[in-house]
Amino acid sequence: MPDGSFSHPQQRSFNPYTENGGTILAIAGADFTVIAGDTRQSEGYSIQTRYAPKVFRLTDRAVLAVNGFAADGNMFVKKVKQRLEWYRHAHAKDMPLRAIARLIQTMLYAQRFFPYYVYNILGGIEEDGTGAVYSFDPVGSYEREACRAAGAAQSLVQPFLDNQIYFKNQQAAPGQSHPLHLPLSDVLSIVIDSFTSATERHIEVGDGLEMYVVLAKGRSAQGLEGGRGVQELTTRTDGDRVFVIRRELKKD
Amino acid sequence: MFLTRSEYDRGVNTFSPEGRLFQVEYAIEAIKLGSTTVGVCTPEGVVLAVEKRVQSPLLEASSIEKIMEIDSHLGCAMSGLIADARTMIDHARVTSQNHAFTYDEKIKVESVTQAVCDLALRFGESVHDEDAMMSRPFGVALLIAGVDEKGPQLFHTDPSGTFVRYDAKAVGSGSEAAQSELQDKWHKQMTLKEAHILTLRVLKQVMEEKLDQHNVQLAQVTSDKGFEILDEVRLKALIDDM
Amino acid sequence: MNSLVSRFSTTGPIAELRKAKEVLGDDDEFSDAVWGSEAGFGSLANGVPKFSIPQVPDPSAFLRLHTDDHSDPSCRIKIKHGTTTLAFRFQGGVIVAVDSRASAGSYVASGTVKKVIEINPYLLGTMAGGAADCQYWETYLGIQCRLHELRNRERISVAAASKYLSNLVYSYKGMGLSMGTMICGWDKTGPAVFYVDSDGTRLKGDLFSVGSGSTFAYGVLDQGYRWDLTDEEAQELGRRSIYAAGHRDAYSGNTINLYHVKEDGWKFIGNYDVSKMHYEGPNGVGYGYDIRTEGRSSANPPATQ
Repeated sequence: MPDGSFSHPQQRSFNPYTENGGTILAIAGADFTVIAGDTRQSEGYSIQTRYAPKVFRLTDRAVLAVNGFAADGNMFVKKVKQRLEWYRHAHAKDMPLRAIARLIQTMLYAQRFFPYYVYNILGGIEEDGTGAVYSFDPVGSYEREACRAAGAAQSLVQPFLDNQIYFKNQQAAPGQSHPLHLPLSDVLSIVIDSFTSATERHIEVGDGLEMYVVLAKGRSAQGLEGGRGVQELTTRTDGDRVFVIRRELKKD
Repeated sequence: MFLTRSEYDRGVNTFSPEGRLFQVEYAIEAIKLGSTTVGVCTPEGVVLAVEKRVQSPLLEASSIEKIMEIDSHLGCAMSGLIADARTMIDHARVTSQNHAFTYDEKIKVESVTQAVCDLALRFGESVHDEDAMMSRPFGVALLIAGVDEKGPQLFHTDPSGTFVRYDAKAVGSGSEAAQSELQDKWHKQMTLKEAHILTLRVLKQVMEEKLDQHNVQLAQVTSDKGFEILDEVRLKALIDDM
Repeated sequence: MNSLVSRFSTTGPIAELRKAKEVLGDDDEFSDAVWGSEAGFGSLANGVPKFSIPQVPDPSAFLRLHTDDHSDPSCRIKIKHGTTTLAFRFQGGVIVAVDSRASAGSYVASGTVKKVIEINPYLLGTMAGGAADCQYWETYLGIQCRLHELRNRERISVAAASKYLSNLVYSYKGMGLSMGTMICGWDKTGPAVFYVDSDGTRLKGDLFSVGSGSTFAYGVLDQGYRWDLTDEEAQELGRRSIYAAGHRDAYSGNTINLYHVKEDGWKFIGNYDVSKMHYEGPNGVGYGYDIRTEGRSSANPPATQ
């Protein structure tokens, strides 16, 4: 132990990172995307707060979930939002989803030698109206996928999603095939089940659940509008729409 | 021409008492010495055409390059000091590629035009340890043609860094006659073929030499095939159809 | 007045600070590029943001401490690793085959990684080592190749493109980049493959395999390789080699991505599930030896009458 004396050699290192727990996930549908995260923030075994959002609306068609070191995550989201604003001024349009994905890569990679300790999942609607999920590693490698979980309970949730979304290790009934995309209500049920289960088995997951739903332009919002705990965050009419659904998770 | 010429036309960073920057105005005059360049925008795409002044029979006409590719969806025709244009085109190319790198999408025609015009204003004395800049305004006008999500577009830029969108525009020595001809003949629902013929007819009117496939250059930007310079075979076929 | 003078002076403390900031690449200072315009000479702007570096005596040791999951499995930032990639030259062009697994420690982080990077319609790069390093720099190489093409009215050679990349990563040597890549294409000299890595190595060759599973892939590749392979034989060799690596190397697997570069550019041949290859192969005959030896091995002896 360093005791301030010079009797033993001492080594110190610069450690600017900590891990704040929690889990995020995103699932793309045919014309919608769900991006969700729990709201617990912890350090070690103590809970710092029961409501620290990890999922953020970027535009009417893009939502970003961040997990890892909360301070880095919040700063990163702030900087992404700043770049989106500048892009809107320079090019007179909202940035398309795939452009946001590439931008996030370049922003993460700019910190290649001093990385943001953040796992990002970007979800939303592409220019062609399809749902999309992009997942990133801390230094910016990225990939478009149909679903992805990240964070503390990644290893609990991802196998469940592989089974329920990709139908891994499932045999279709004779004469039938697995659906390519699931309906929104099924996806929401899977998301809720993922988080209630992760809360049961992972100490860093719990307290609250925020599920953002991005709907493609023209898709009906039936079953969503006026639902329990549903709030619409769309800023402009006649485009893609963003909703957030809030649910409680166990608090022990 | 400028009878009020005074010491105010020496420096690029001094306004005259009437509020004019003479060097910029002279730069715009320089363009009027350039060969005629025409651009026509249609719903199918944009057509660019330039006159190549083949001053000597010993000159290799194919080495005169006045229409250049900025990117697969962007082209540019020029009139004035062609050497100046090279700096601007390279800037446009780099801007377009940087945009593609950062955003994984094609840059908009207006954005690339804006970038070129920002460069046009970077003349004058360079301050502190900044990178070297131009000491005078560029002496070239550009017609930037392209297709993006807003469809085919044609922009005109001049040495003052101003840019304006046109349906059809002529610059260079024969521009006055050419522009009024374009005003008469251009219409909204022009086909690409009609635009080819129109640009060639306009050039033919203002050119001193007899127009043939060696002394004009024609290019187009369309949404499906992007930027392409028409080769002499296609050019000859068009001239024969005229 | 004083502040104005000091702002524009090239010596003195403020200018020193300004220079230091430039070296450190303070990312609060954005170039005009982010506004959609360079507002400067294009040839001087390169699109790569300035990299910010922690202000510690040894930045690369800092990076190693927090990111390298080989020396310290408990480190926080896990960069995706583990791979098998291969490329070889033959009479009919270049075959490029890779697996699709990315592991972070012992966790399979992804089974659907695209380890072939489509630099442009006639150049391919492969990904081994840091996924982000390969993706980012090979995308960057793509725009530089395009600029070369616009400026010189001619496609860049595979040799030049690979040398560009090699010089680029060499300029970051010792800072912690990790990439082992094959740049593959077809130019005036015919089919070409160059191996480039983050140490600065650049090798021209006929056949390479890179990654944790490369030894297994080489085993199959070396014994089956001939210059006069037909297209089908060559594609099968690539597929079979990656299967072997996926089967024997825990850090490789999931699926195989197969590409073929010909004179008119590359073509994606297909995506093949490694497990499916084991039991069924590409056309009904499984690669797995247990399929061939079923009922004939000691572990699974023939049924006695």
